[in-house]
Amino acid sequence: MSILFLAHTEPDGTLAKSALESLAATVQLAQSLGTPFTVGLIGETPGPAADAIATCGAQKFLTVSGPEFSQARYATDAAAAEALCRAAAATLVTAPATSRWNRVLPGLAHRLGGRADTHVTGVGVSNGQPCVSRWFYRQRMEAVFTRSTRPWILALEGGIAAPWQGAAGTAHPDAVAVTLAAPRTQVTGFEAPAADQQTIRPDAELLFVTGAGWTKKQADGEVKVAEAETLIREFLRLSRSSLGSTKSLVDLGGEGQSVLPFLSHLNQIGQTGSTPRHAKGLSTCCHGEEPHTVGWRFIGERRAISLDANCGWARGKADILYVADAFAVMAKVNALLAP
Amino acid sequence: MSYQIIVCGSLVPDPLQTLEPVTGPQGPALKNEMMLPSWLDPWAGHALYEAARLAGQHAGSKVWLVSLGPKAKLQQVMMTVAQKVPFELVALDGSAGGFTDASETAAALAEAILAIPGLDLTKLLLFGGWESASRGAGATLQIVGERLGITDQFQGVDSLTLEADGSLRILERVEGGKHQVSVCSAPPAVLGWATGSLPEPRNNPQVGMANMRGIMPALQKAKPSPVSTGDITFTSVTLPTQTRTTQVIKDASPEQIAADIVAWIKGG
Amino acid sequence: MSLVADTAPDAMDRPRMDADIVCVGFGPAAGGFLTKLAAAAFHPDGSPALESPSMPGLPLQVMCYERADDIGFGVSGVVTRAKSLRESFPGLDPDQIPMAAAVTGEKIIYLLDPVGVSRRSFVLRAADKVIRALGGVFGLRHDAIALPWIPPFLNKHGGLVLSMGQFTQWVGSQVMATGAVQIWPGSPVREAIIENQAVTGVRLLDQGVGKDGSPAEGFMPGMEVRAPLTVVADGPVGAIGQQLDLHFGVPEGHHLHDWALGMKFVVDLPDDCQWEPGTVLHTLGFPEPEIFGFLYVHPGRVASMGIFIPSWFDSPVRTAYRYLQHWMMHPYLWRHLKGGRLRSWGAKTLQESGRRGEPLLTGDGFARIGEGSGSTNVLTNSGVDEAWATGVQLADAVIGLIQAGQPFTRENLDATYVKRRRESWVGAEGRVAEKARDGFQRGVVTGLFGTMLAGLTKGVLSMPGRPGAPHTRVPTFENYYAGRISKEDLARIRKDCDTKGIAASGVLMDRVGWPEIPFDGELLVSHQDALLMGGKVQAPAGYGDHVGFLYPEECESCESKICVEMCSGQAITPSENGRPIFDREKCIHCGACLWNCAKAHPHHPEHALVGFQAGAGGLHSAEN
Repeated sequence: MSILFLAHTEPDGTLAKSALESLAATVQLAQSLGTPFTVGLIGETPGPAADAIATCGAQKFLTVSGPEFSQARYATDAAAAEALCRAAAATLVTAPATSRWNRVLPGLAHRLGGRADTHVTGVGVSNGQPCVSRWFYRQRMEAVFTRSTRPWILALEGGIAAPWQGAAGTAHPDAVAVTLAAPRTQVTGFEAPAADQQTIRPDAELLFVTGAGWTKKQADGEVKVAEAETLIREFLRLSRSSLGSTKSLVDLGGEGQSVLPFLSHLNQIGQTGSTPRHAKGLSTCCHGEEPHTVGWRFIGERRAISLDANCGWARGKADILYVADAFAVMAKVNALLAP
Repeated sequence: MSYQIIVCGSLVPDPLQTLEPVTGPQGPALKNEMMLPSWLDPWAGHALYEAARLAGQHAGSKVWLVSLGPKAKLQQVMMTVAQKVPFELVALDGSAGGFTDASETAAALAEAILAIPGLDLTKLLLFGGWESASRGAGATLQIVGERLGITDQFQGVDSLTLEADGSLRILERVEGGKHQVSVCSAPPAVLGWATGSLPEPRNNPQVGMANMRGIMPALQKAKPSPVSTGDITFTSVTLPTQTRTTQVIKDASPEQIAADIVAWIKGG
Repeated sequence: MSLVADTAPDAMDRPRMDADIVCVGFGPAAGGFLTKLAAAAFHPDGSPALESPSMPGLPLQVMCYERADDIGFGVSGVVTRAKSLRESFPGLDPDQIPMAAAVTGEKIIYLLDPVGVSRRSFVLRAADKVIRALGGVFGLRHDAIALPWIPPFLNKHGGLVLSMGQFTQWVGSQVMATGAVQIWPGSPVREAIIENQAVTGVRLLDQGVGKDGSPAEGFMPGMEVRAPLTVVADGPVGAIGQQLDLHFGVPEGHHLHDWALGMKFVVDLPDDCQWEPGTVLHTLGFPEPEIFGFLYVHPGRVASMGIFIPSWFDSPVRTAYRYLQHWMMHPYLWRHLKGGRLRSWGAKTLQESGRRGEPLLTGDGFARIGEGSGSTNVLTNSGVDEAWATGVQLADAVIGLIQAGQPFTRENLDATYVKRRRESWVGAEGRVAEKARDGFQRGVVTGLFGTMLAGLTKGVLSMPGRPGAPHTRVPTFENYYAGRISKEDLARIRKDCDTKGIAASGVLMDRVGWPEIPFDGELLVSHQDALLMGGKVQAPAGYGDHVGFLYPEECESCESKICVEMCSGQAITPSENGRPIFDREKCIHCGACLWNCAKAHPHHPEHALVGFQAGAGGLHSAEN
């Protein structure tokens, strides 16, 4: 068995936290299997990144470099990864489940006659063979399984292990040459809300979840979307938390109803939204949206504010349920957080 | 310019149902899988609606929906989907379960696509959801693309603009609430859609009637496609068992609750 | 003419389509109709056997429009003798149909009151005392006794336990696979098109409208489907049935008073539960003497169970949800159910007038079948078999008329469909059952006696009683709780609940001593959480509110607000100004509000102040 750990550099030439987490998981897996492993890096100039993890215990470092590999693009990434896998003669390939790798790995597996598994949340060893766990049906059930086909390529989810930490060194990577046809696709840039408008902060400690209740009639029979918007924006500004939303709330926009203007499907958690990882989660006005709880699968401590004490959404899923009016509570929270 | 837009997508159980795994002779499956209400996979649905919109904007374009699922269930789901937008169905009779292997599903889909009469790769946009609500892997479409020899692939797509010069401008979701912008010079391309920006189209009985003329024959000639779990050996499939002990705080004032929350947020 | 104001303009560009037969609703009646019709539509070689009368040269064009998101949503679970089903499917193997089982055992259980709160009459109290005193003689165990004998007219021996959701899906898939019929779910029919006193087709519901039905963003006028025959199979709350009743009236002496509400849970039974598939239990006596219970065991350790709130339960607290939980927790049932898990739930109105609720079955261009056509047998408590049979009878008639080249006039439909129906077992048994429940107007014991009398004398004898419209009989809180809760307290509770926007029934039941439900998040969940079990209640965008309050100023003075108390989904809530508020996102289309309104319509005293139009969405579960 031979393991290849694949990573790509970030625009600044470093490795992202998710890559270091996957590296740590790979180091552990290699030790459990008693197998050496190789590191394969892709990037414009991946040398410094290789040096940064030079002491990780890899038997060998391979790199594919060049300006065409600075862009996250299927054709070039697949060709680079294919070359690295062939050079390493890998039977087991690990990589962080970044958007860049998720785009490429299943197709890569096909090229190599292997199989890929994505969204892997755990790797282990059973009877001397690697096995993985991942969730099916939108985080509703978790499976543990193994495969017989090699190479077996695994995209490891963030949080799978604590990020690898170790001294930098000199990696002496071997460059792997890749022959490319002229790419038909160019990455021309990125679109993102202005920094002060960005509500999605993957590195935030807290995920703040808003439910459709914010836009419904309140106790006095009035709809208070403007007030809700002010409270939520202010809280996000003060707490630097990441904003998540239930599907019903973001869907309201498409149906022409009053909604919070800064919410988009990118904010949605659960169902067709994301399943983010944060240490803490606070949900507000989500009653009646129990199924969205799957969006909380990877949230550590969870609290909820709801008007209904019997809310099954919170029961068994949140650590604390405050039975209260979120408008009143969040106004006070903001007052306390204000400098 | 006209396009051939092929959407891969199948049915998934209503995600709001109680889903429970059982182990059968073919490996894991859902309890009462055939009884659960099903609908078109939501991401594939977004892909289909975007396909229809684009086809509507470019005269001579056509949309196919290539769907692998149990025939009886497909028929049922199509009665709803067919009312939404015009398309031609290519049906494959097999399991739409989440535990089947993506590479097997991809092989069956690719074979069906290659058999579509008049297929022209220079006009082809291969659409699908960026993952399914069943397997949730985000793998099938890439493998279908590889099998068709398409190496311009995009995942987590929220927007596709077909430019006048024939190029494709594509927005893909990447980390941190951002979109990566790419320009692909021309078809063919593979696009795995996230949610896009279109609301679910209304049920239109006339669209339904028109679609149905092709859907029933497609279902009648649906080829058996016995996809399985492939080389996977499942050790376990379990529901999360951890239930949290929820402390319900009922009679606290907003001030007290706010203080508690702020202490919690600030506490490390 | 509609009870709800028509706010959508008569769109000039309303799309139009022509068909031969348009069928409204897909339940057991339409299932029977379309199964029979589809079987006759093609020759074995695939060539059309029935030619389209309106489009010569084409095969018969049959469209069926179902309002729910999918066929089989929001219907019920039953035990049925399956007489007509077996005629349509000779050699029917229950294993082919998910959740179906042959009846293996049937019991009637009298439940005593283990909590001491049930409102029992003096006679019942005395009887309970005797039963408790002589427990051994009666076989008293777990506060219940099994009746030693099941009257033959109630017996379902040889029948089937079915999930109507799964059964109708099974039927629908077979019918559609023939290619003879198209069944379109998610397509509510707004109204029948009536021209020169003939029905000439239907209009589908407009989409892209606001809450009040007025055109909004993306307005799409509902299509007109013109057809020589409209088959009305839209059940007890169907918009078309209501429209035809209002337009053409009902036959002399017939009425639309009696509508019960059935609410049901589908439960995963605990592992140690001993009930075999096909087990059927009927209960009476608890939680209130007027409330009957039923339990049917499906294969795979699943059971459908629920209660039946009859039209003659004269209580302003006709709430089904909480009563159903108390019923489940009766010791006789709870020992089997504890540790189970709620899979899904549902509720529906049940026609309880039998033959006397029969509307005009036919007219020029239309025919009515199924429950909305008064086919339910109120003696045998059977509806599905009868509904299916009426569908088959109409199909036989339609096939004959097409083959004879005869038009679908009232005369022709009467001479074929109605004649068959009258001469069939459905007609004969319906006549026997006609007065079977009249005795309940005078009390439970009298009612039970009357039922036995009618059943055993084949309808020759019965206990008299005169059913009245709900608005003549729903008592005020003050009357109902006289001697138990003071007038002042009732006023305070009402006001408090109005302010909070919640029904008063829960508070009132607590107050008179009903124990609190110990929610466990599994089988005993809050009413709101039930809306999420087994598929969240759906309310697709772009449709207006299908429930409206026609004279809200009248509602202000309504003391009982039974629409609020009885609402199966807590979709109707009170408000401080006394006007109920409707939330479409919680409505499961049971129709309780429509048929139990405590106030009469000022111009149509047989109708309510609640308008209940065609609507999309509702329960998203096919297990019911």
